[in-house]
Amino acid sequence: MDIYLPIAEVAVNAPLIVLLGAVVGFISGMFGIGGGFLMTPMLVFLGIPAPVAVASMANHVAASSMSSVIAYSRRRAVDLRMGAVLAGGGIVGAFLGVELFRWLRLMGQADLVVSLSYLVFLGVIGGLMLMESLSAILRRRRNEPPPPRRDRRPVWLYGLPLKMRFPRSRLYISVIPPVALGIFVGVLSAIMGVGGGFILVPAMVYVLRMPAGMVVGTSLLQIIITTALTGVLQAGRNQTVDIVLATLLLVGGIVGAQFGARASSRFRAEELRAILALIVLLVGLRMGLGLFLTPDEPFVLMSGMG
Amino acid sequence: MLGAVLALATTAAVPGPPLPPSPNPTAPVISAALTDTTVQVKSDFRGARIVLYGAVFDSAARPSDVVVLVRGPEQPVRLTRKQKVAGLWLNSRPVVFRGAPGFYRAASNRPLDDIATFGTLRRLGAGVDHLPINAPAEQHIETRYGVRDVVVSSLGPDYYDWRRAVVRIREKSGLYHEDGQGVSFVDRGLFRAEIALPTGAPTGVYQAQILLFQDGKPVSSRQRTLTVEKVGLERALYVWAHDRPWSYGLAAMAFALAAGWGASAAFRRD
Repeated sequence: MDIYLPIAEVAVNAPLIVLLGAVVGFISGMFGIGGGFLMTPMLVFLGIPAPVAVASMANHVAASSMSSVIAYSRRRAVDLRMGAVLAGGGIVGAFLGVELFRWLRLMGQADLVVSLSYLVFLGVIGGLMLMESLSAILRRRRNEPPPPRRDRRPVWLYGLPLKMRFPRSRLYISVIPPVALGIFVGVLSAIMGVGGGFILVPAMVYVLRMPAGMVVGTSLLQIIITTALTGVLQAGRNQTVDIVLATLLLVGGIVGAQFGARASSRFRAEELRAILALIVLLVGLRMGLGLFLTPDEPFVLMSGMG
Repeated sequence: MLGAVLALATTAAVPGPPLPPSPNPTAPVISAALTDTTVQVKSDFRGARIVLYGAVFDSAARPSDVVVLVRGPEQPVRLTRKQKVAGLWLNSRPVVFRGAPGFYRAASNRPLDDIATFGTLRRLGAGVDHLPINAPAEQHIETRYGVRDVVVSSLGPDYYDWRRAVVRIREKSGLYHEDGQGVSFVDRGLFRAEIALPTGAPTGVYQAQILLFQDGKPVSSRQRTLTVEKVGLERALYVWAHDRPWSYGLAAMAFALAAGWGASAAFRRD
């Protein structure tokens, strides 16, 4: 059952798109990430123009994150204050990122930067997460005790000015690291067409040292705010949001996210992280591969007139 | 003058012999029509096939060739070339080509090269190799070997590779097509051709030019227009998204957030 998308101006198989939305939504609910890093390449692979895929994806990510953040907030697993600080940085970053992306497109180097960002960020984060989670799984198999949790937080987190209390996360740290993290993720989200959860989640765990229970819900809150802004900006400035595509995706996405959030409690945390790490690593390598393989067609049509 | 126009209009309105008026009664004349003059793009749009049919009126029955050229609205092409730099395939500076129609089809009863000379085809823009595609931003005029006003492209000798790539990429997506057997004579003087529009065909006004060739020269031509337009919900959404993008974006996002909220409420386990 094919359906014609009015903005993308291509016909897609509607059940396939709904299914894709459901699968990504499931992953999103399970790991507390937006899933944009998976969705954007898949949509482009299905023949949807990249600017439309990136922009419409923002609506889908916002919807499925909304669907699962409510479940987390009922469990009081969202640090609203930390989410707001991160999102403040994210908003600045999104504006910067949109300008940077516009300039890169004019130079014709957007493809390169997108591929490199996927390769570097997904590769590094996927690799680190995979190593960490595999060693945790191995330790458990051998019945070794878990390593003592390093409660000592990095000194620079405390040395910086502008300290703020985050009672939910039991933190009293400078706002500079979370704001900087928000800006960084905002820029990436505009360039890579992602929510940024795959960077936020590990950064909140390993850099900000937030309690594990707070991380997923708070990251989802930040993702909603950033992607809602990105989605409206993309529609307003580039007219690239395809509401039919977004609706198809989010129908699957919101249902998938609910099942994902429930399924996550059936797995051990390190197993979940290992699966996510594998997915992240594979997508990163696949996107980076294009830089090294000889293309069949040396000439590439560029979308948009800059 | 006004009387003459009115008289013409009246003659055209009266259903009669389909012979169009011609200054010389023995001159050959071509006549053609499309089965559909509008193509509606709806949610089930999967491309369209339009039949063009027509007739050659020639009392002397000289050997005739028919060429049908269909051009869609112009769509500039922004193209980049992958180059290997330090082991990585990187994009070159993008080049903008103008004069490229968003859709192009050349159909004829035998290959174009057998019908007319290179110069004639070039002048008419008949055939994918003769489309007036060029990159004006890359061109400058200089004096070479004492010859003034020579147009030089900064793409240098690769220029034709770039130009061919524009055609090749559009051919691959079904937007450009040249068919030396696309026009078939079904009876003496009576011909038909099919125009296949792919799903990605741009919306807008298409011009169909039907040319009659005798002895390698175009002796008669007809022009027909075809409109491809979005209708219904597709059109409403497209117009909304382009005319009032901010309200469209806000509404789309509000809908997405509400849907997420609704799903969470629906799935809540109490």
